[in-house]
Amino acid sequence: MCCHGLPVGGSPSSPGCFVPLIQKTGGLLLTAERGGRMNVGTAHSEVNPNTRVMNSRGIWLSYVLAIGLLHVVLLSIPFVSVPVVWTLTNLIHNMGMYIFLHTVKGTPFETPDQGKARLLTHWEQMDYGVQFTASRKFLTITPIVLYFLTSFYTKYDQIHFILNTVSLMSVLIPKLPQLHGVRIFGINKY
Amino acid sequence: MLRVPSRIGKRTHAPAYHLILEGILILWIIRLLFSKTYKLQERSDLTVKEKEELIEEWQPEPLVPPVPKDHPALNYNIVSGPPSHKIVVNGKECINFASFNFLGLLDNPRVKAAALASLKKYGVGTCGPRGFYGTFDVHLDLEDRLAKFMKTEEAIIYSYGFATIASAIPAYSKRGDIVFVDRAACFAIQKGLQASRSDIKLFKHNDMADLERLLKEQEIEDQKNPRKARVTRRFIVVEGLYMNTGTICPLPELVKLKYKYKARIFLEESLSFGVLGEHGRGVTEHYGINIDDIDLISANMENALASIGGFCCGRSFVIDHQRLSGQGYCFSASLPPLLAAAAIEALNIMEENPGIFAVLKEKCRQIHKALQGISGLKVVGESFSPAFHLQLEESTGSREQDVRLLQEIVDQCMNKNIALTQARYLEKEEKCLPPPSIRVVVTVEQTEEELVRAASTIKEVAQVVLL
Repeated sequence: MCCHGLPVGGSPSSPGCFVPLIQKTGGLLLTAERGGRMNVGTAHSEVNPNTRVMNSRGIWLSYVLAIGLLHVVLLSIPFVSVPVVWTLTNLIHNMGMYIFLHTVKGTPFETPDQGKARLLTHWEQMDYGVQFTASRKFLTITPIVLYFLTSFYTKYDQIHFILNTVSLMSVLIPKLPQLHGVRIFGINKY
Repeated sequence: MLRVPSRIGKRTHAPAYHLILEGILILWIIRLLFSKTYKLQERSDLTVKEKEELIEEWQPEPLVPPVPKDHPALNYNIVSGPPSHKIVVNGKECINFASFNFLGLLDNPRVKAAALASLKKYGVGTCGPRGFYGTFDVHLDLEDRLAKFMKTEEAIIYSYGFATIASAIPAYSKRGDIVFVDRAACFAIQKGLQASRSDIKLFKHNDMADLERLLKEQEIEDQKNPRKARVTRRFIVVEGLYMNTGTICPLPELVKLKYKYKARIFLEESLSFGVLGEHGRGVTEHYGINIDDIDLISANMENALASIGGFCCGRSFVIDHQRLSGQGYCFSASLPPLLAAAAIEALNIMEENPGIFAVLKEKCRQIHKALQGISGLKVVGESFSPAFHLQLEESTGSREQDVRLLQEIVDQCMNKNIALTQARYLEKEEKCLPPPSIRVVVTVEQTEEELVRAASTIKEVAQVVLL
C-alpha cells in the first residue's frame, strides 16, 4: 500500500510502478542512470512522466546551456558590473529552481493514478521519491558550483555573499531527504 | 558588451567564514557523489529469520475453494431464444418477470429491422475504440439524439452499461476528493468509487437528514482548513431508481443540499430512464427539476432502451472531459453499430408514443397493489417502480437459508410458468449487502390477466413455501 504520495514497492512485478535502476550505485559520479528513454510524444506506460523528465537525453546539457544563456543575456545589459551580473545570475537561477522544483505542485497533465502526485512538488516527484539518484545529485551540485563561481567573481564581497548564500540555502535545504514532503508552517501544503 | 573583469589575476582576500562555508560545500558535494540511492520507505523491519518464519507459517489456500453443490453459479437456468415477454427457460415457456425489458423494445420489429439494416451496412463489430477508427456516424447520431431527448448539451456513449458509471466517476473524482454516496448504490457505482480513490462517505439510504449531517461535518472540517477545502471537490452520487431497493431518490431535496453545501450531483438513471417522467426522461422530469441542476446524468441503455451500452449526458463542458478521461470510452471498443441503430430506433419509438410510460406506471401500480398482503413476503420499492423486490418479512437468521427459501419460491413459480429471479450479488464484494430478495420486473407487454395470474401464483407459492 502506498501512503500519501510516496510509492513503496519497487519490485519489478508491481504493475504501473516504476522500474528504475536502483542498484545501489556505489554512487561514484553521475553516469549510469542517464540517457533516458526516447518516449516523448509516444504512447508509453509511464504513469507520471514528470518523474522521468530530468533523466531525458540532453536535458542536463540544455540546463547548463540555459544557465549560460541567462548569464550572457545579463552580461549584455549595459552599465551593470560583472559581480552584479554574477549575483543576478545566481539569484535568478536559484529563484527559478525554487519555483519550478519546490513550489509548483502536481502535474500539468492528468495521470492514470488518480492524482497521486497532486500535492507533491517536482523535486518530490522526481524518480518517484527515490533519493540521491543521478538527476538529483546533478541538480544539487549545479547551484553549488554556480555559487563557487559567483563568489569568486564577486570577489567575496560581503553583501553579495549574504545574498548568494541565502539564495543557495533556499535551494539546497529543500533538497534534503529529511525534508521530503515537509511543508513548514503548512505553506504550500494544498 | 562583455565587461572583462579587470582584476581577475590579482589575489583577493577571501574572508575566513567564506572559505569555511566553501569547504563545507565541497565536502557536501563529495558526500553527495558517493551516496547511494535509496527509497524512503524501503526498509521493512523484518529480519531474515522473521521472514523465514512467516514463510514457514504460510499455508497455501486451494486454487479452487470448496463450493457447495447448490451454489447458484453451478445451477443456472438455460434460456433458449430471446428473453422477451415469453421466455423459454429450461425448455419451459414462461412469462418473463425477470428481464429489464420495461418498454418491451427487445422484440420490437422496428428495432430489429433497424438493427438488421445496420448489420448489413456496417457488419457486426467496430473493432476499435472511439479514438481509433471506431467512431461511426451511428454513434454520433445516437449521442446527438440522446442529448436532444434528455434536453442536455451533449451526450457520450459507452459500449458497456456497467462501465459507464464506473468510468464516469473516476474521470472527475480523484484522490483527495470527497464523494457522498447512498448506501444502496449499485455495484457499478461502488466499483467506480473504488477506482476513483476518493474519500467515500456513505449516508443511509434516502435519508436526507443523514446526508445533511455528513455535509455539515464536512463543512466544519472545511472551515478549519480552508486551503485544503479549496482544492477538494465534493460529489453526491445517487441513483434515480435504485436497483437494490426499487425506491426513488428525493431529488428536490438533493438539489437544495447541492446548492447549500456546494457539491456536484451525479445521477445514475439506469432504471429510471425510459420509465419515469411524462416523456420518459427520468427522475428530473418526474420531479420537474431543471436538468441543468444535475451535473451529470449517467444511464445504461440495457434496460428500457433494450440495447447495450450506456450514456452520460450533461453540459458540454462536463461531458467533453470524458472523451479523454473516461477509461471505458477511450480504452474499450465502441458500441457495435447495429446496437447503436437499435437504440436510435428505440428512441424514435419512445418519442412517438409517450403514452407507454403512463401504461407502464399503471401496470406497476396494479401489481404492486396485488402483491401486498402476502404473508411472509413484503414488497420493497415504490409503487411506480417497474423493478421492485420481494423480501422475506422475517429473516430465518442465516442468509443462505433465506436464499434457499426464496429460491424455492422462484423454482415453484417457474413450474407454474412465471419466470422470476433472485437479486444476485457478489456477497463478498458489496459494501452494504442488501438482504436476499426476489426481483420482480414489470413490462408494458404483460397483460392485465398475466399480472393478476402472476400475483396470485406468487401468493400461493409463498403460502406453501413459507408456512
